[in-house]
Amino acid sequence: MDKNIKILIVDDFSTMRRIIKNLLRDLGYNNTSEADDGLTALPMLQTGNFDLLITDWNMPGMQGIDLLRTVRADPRLATLPVMMVTAEQKREQIIEAAKAGVNGYIVKPFTAQTLKDKLEKIFERVAAR
Amino acid sequence: MSNDLSVLHEDYVSRAREMLRHMKQGDEAETARLLDEIVHLREDSLFRELGRLTRDFHDSLNNFRLDSRLADIAQNEIPDARDRLSYVISMTEQAANRTLNAIEDSLPACEALESRVSQLREQWACFTRREMDAPAFRNLSRDLEAFLGEAGDDLQRLRANLQDVLMAQGFQDLTGQIIRRVITLVEELERNLVELVRISGQKLAQPAKEARQVSAADVHGPAIPGLDTGTVSGQDEVDDLLSSLGF
Repeated sequence: MDKNIKILIVDDFSTMRRIIKNLLRDLGYNNTSEADDGLTALPMLQTGNFDLLITDWNMPGMQGIDLLRTVRADPRLATLPVMMVTAEQKREQIIEAAKAGVNGYIVKPFTAQTLKDKLEKIFERVAAR
Repeated sequence: MSNDLSVLHEDYVSRAREMLRHMKQGDEAETARLLDEIVHLREDSLFRELGRLTRDFHDSLNNFRLDSRLADIAQNEIPDARDRLSYVISMTEQAANRTLNAIEDSLPACEALESRVSQLREQWACFTRREMDAPAFRNLSRDLEAFLGEAGDDLQRLRANLQDVLMAQGFQDLTGQIIRRVITLVEELERNLVELVRISGQKLAQPAKEARQVSAADVHGPAIPGLDTGTVSGQDEVDDLLSSLGF
């Protein structure tokens, strides 16, 4: 897997963005960018050529689920792999995310190993396309 | 209302005139009777007014009860908020302990590594000064090899501990979300209470930021910069204050 892929991390809590960034760094992925909301993430995605989107659900401006839907509805972004990392654990929400086309769903609190495993899974599927 | 007043005035004026007439005629009984009537008129209108006010208040209270979330807040949301805040305490405690554990495991390992390195440097210095004989060098060689192995393991352990500390910081996001929700609840509670006070007719005093009543049992807890007044900021100020008092 190309470790130079461009990853966008979206979460309204900067501490969480830092943790994910450090975990990615540990796995060899250094090409990361950050956004603090779905609203600020969208323009970045539209112009940034990102290879992976990691997003929280609960954000004040635009929620992660809406960001996901917007991404899937945009022909230029529709195939972008999206991973949700969130505290939202209700069944209906997980199902909603799956229906909206999420590629991975991690619940907080999570372990470094979980992030690694889920990432690998996403990349395997992407490579297999 | 003004109709009422003009009718009342008519009633008062006509009786007052009659009463005056009877007074002039010296008719005490009739004067007294008319005075009574005037007083009763006054009492009636007072009672009617009181009744109206009571009904208004009762209606307001009823409307408030029906619209208000106060009951729901009191019965369900406050206990829920209490539980959530307790959870925040336990989460932060866990995170702190996890971090402290990682530190307590790492520091001795660091110190051991440091002292080993120090020893080996001395020995290596001996060697470079050509003060070492062959057997001693063979020992050094063995020690270095052993050290490289151990150091590798120790460094891996340190890295694992640091990762642990990294993950432990995840509490901030979750506790932050919980606390935000409780703040929202407190705001709603505040709005409801202000409304209740308003209905009951009390005027709310202007919030006096300077003169917060400190009750006897009021212990303040951690000072929040910008919020708590009358506090010192930092150890240096504590020390200055104490030394200015002669300690």
